[in-house]
Amino acid sequence: MTTAVTDDTTEGLLRRLAPQVLGAVVRRYGHFDTAEDAVQEALIAATMQWPHDGVPDNPRAWLITVTSRRLTDLLRSEHARQRREDTVAQWTLPDQWLAPAADRPASAFDDTLILLFMCCHPSLSPASQIALTLRAVGGLSTAEIARAFLVPEATMTRRISRAKQRIKDSGIPFGMPPGAERTERLGAVLHVLYLIFNEGYAATSGPSLQRSELSAEAIRLARMVQRLLPDDGEVTGLLALMLLTDARRPARTGPDGGLIPMAEQDRSLWNAGYIAEGVALITAALPRGTTGPYQLQAAIAAIHDEAPSAEATDWPQIMALYELLMQTADNPVVALNHAVAVAMVRGADAGLDLLGKLDADERIAGDHRLHAVRGHLLEMAGDCVAARESYQAAAQRATSFPQQRYLNARAARLVDDQ
Amino acid sequence: MKYMILLYASQQEYDLMAGKPTDEPAWSAEDVAAMHAFMASWNQDLVDSGEFVDARGLAAPVHTRRIRGLQDGVPVVTDGPYPETQEVLAGYTIVECDSFDRATEIAARITKSPSPGDASGAFIDVRPIIEGIEELEA
Repeated sequence: MTTAVTDDTTEGLLRRLAPQVLGAVVRRYGHFDTAEDAVQEALIAATMQWPHDGVPDNPRAWLITVTSRRLTDLLRSEHARQRREDTVAQWTLPDQWLAPAADRPASAFDDTLILLFMCCHPSLSPASQIALTLRAVGGLSTAEIARAFLVPEATMTRRISRAKQRIKDSGIPFGMPPGAERTERLGAVLHVLYLIFNEGYAATSGPSLQRSELSAEAIRLARMVQRLLPDDGEVTGLLALMLLTDARRPARTGPDGGLIPMAEQDRSLWNAGYIAEGVALITAALPRGTTGPYQLQAAIAAIHDEAPSAEATDWPQIMALYELLMQTADNPVVALNHAVAVAMVRGADAGLDLLGKLDADERIAGDHRLHAVRGHLLEMAGDCVAARESYQAAAQRATSFPQQRYLNARAARLVDDQ
Repeated sequence: MKYMILLYASQQEYDLMAGKPTDEPAWSAEDVAAMHAFMASWNQDLVDSGEFVDARGLAAPVHTRRIRGLQDGVPVVTDGPYPETQEVLAGYTIVECDSFDRATEIAARITKSPSPGDASGAFIDVRPIIEGIEELEA
């Protein structure tokens, strides 16, 4: 996976066409699982042939033809194998009769969305949803996905084939979920994109803190969904949130790979283009309809990104937005961020009081982030001994090396200061 | 996208529906009427949803002529080439719909058709109609 896949490269073109080709073939012939393999083989064929023979006049048609042919071959060998094993490929249709969508004929873009809905089907675990989305919609190979998630390729292969088997067994037809279900299922799609982004932005394990190519891929997919559903405030909110968060990436780590907290970052390194785009998106989305959690988080990120320094940040506004966010869902990480904003507005002690309440919440009590925030607030309050203990406790619980190094450095600095 | 839904029956089943008992009891007039009513409503649903293209039923398999090759420069015609119990094409419906899955769903509804006998061995096939790559491109 390369860091920057632009639309005008062959790889960019193939990745953009991959879900459209898969959608067209699955619509026509079914067999999501096998068709997905066939698309991957067609993509490989294109990667090998196009640089020599030139890009075909209609690359989409070329890919559909090659995929359909390959699907026929794969199905024939599957059928032959099944007959030898004396089993029949059998599945049960859901016993429901739905009227067809009357509004308009399906387009390639709907197909991409339908594929996203399939890959993020609630019968799959989040890990499987992520892997399948990256492969079937993102057009990434299993090897690339395995590398991004730091697992052996064989593990990722199993994960993807199990996910595809599960979708096959569930018998869900290739089509838009019915109206009432659609909103809920879109929520699952956005959550998967959010998880992919976060996995890239704050790697939960391993030596590299930022596997930025995953973030770039999440942004690419979110852009695609936003183009398909431009009037959905939460889709726009999610894209804005990703851009406004990723904008800070260049300043987030020092030359030694160590983590730099936002207050100490060189803000001239922030990606001004991403900030402008993110601010424009969230500004346009906020006045429209109900404000969901992604829009609120994007609004918070926008305030940070537009502030000239940590001190000059509009903390009361951020505190108010976190309070709105806490009303949408009971999330201890949100409560933790709220405590930080409260400390910036009303002083460290007010923030520490709120942290005391989170100690009882077992979802976050053992999380390094609670200890790290306590360390910062104690340091703000001038209690160096307690701050050092909190940083050390946080370092013990952090899973990535850069986070551990950062937290240990904070603890060590307090010793030096004494 | 167009799909052909193919229905099969043997000469024996044609006979049962026509009221002629074989080793199984023949269908009653009510049985036949119930089946016709079901198929008419199935068909009407497709007309209403705009997915109906065409449908035809075929006469009993005994009324089949098979033309085979040339013998001494002359085509040979065989009358009624099928065994009594062989399932052969009995009719088809062409639908134009969104996907193979949708066509399958439409075809699967036929399994709900009322039948006095044991219909567990009955089958229906669905096959994509080839109308060129342009159709996939739409």
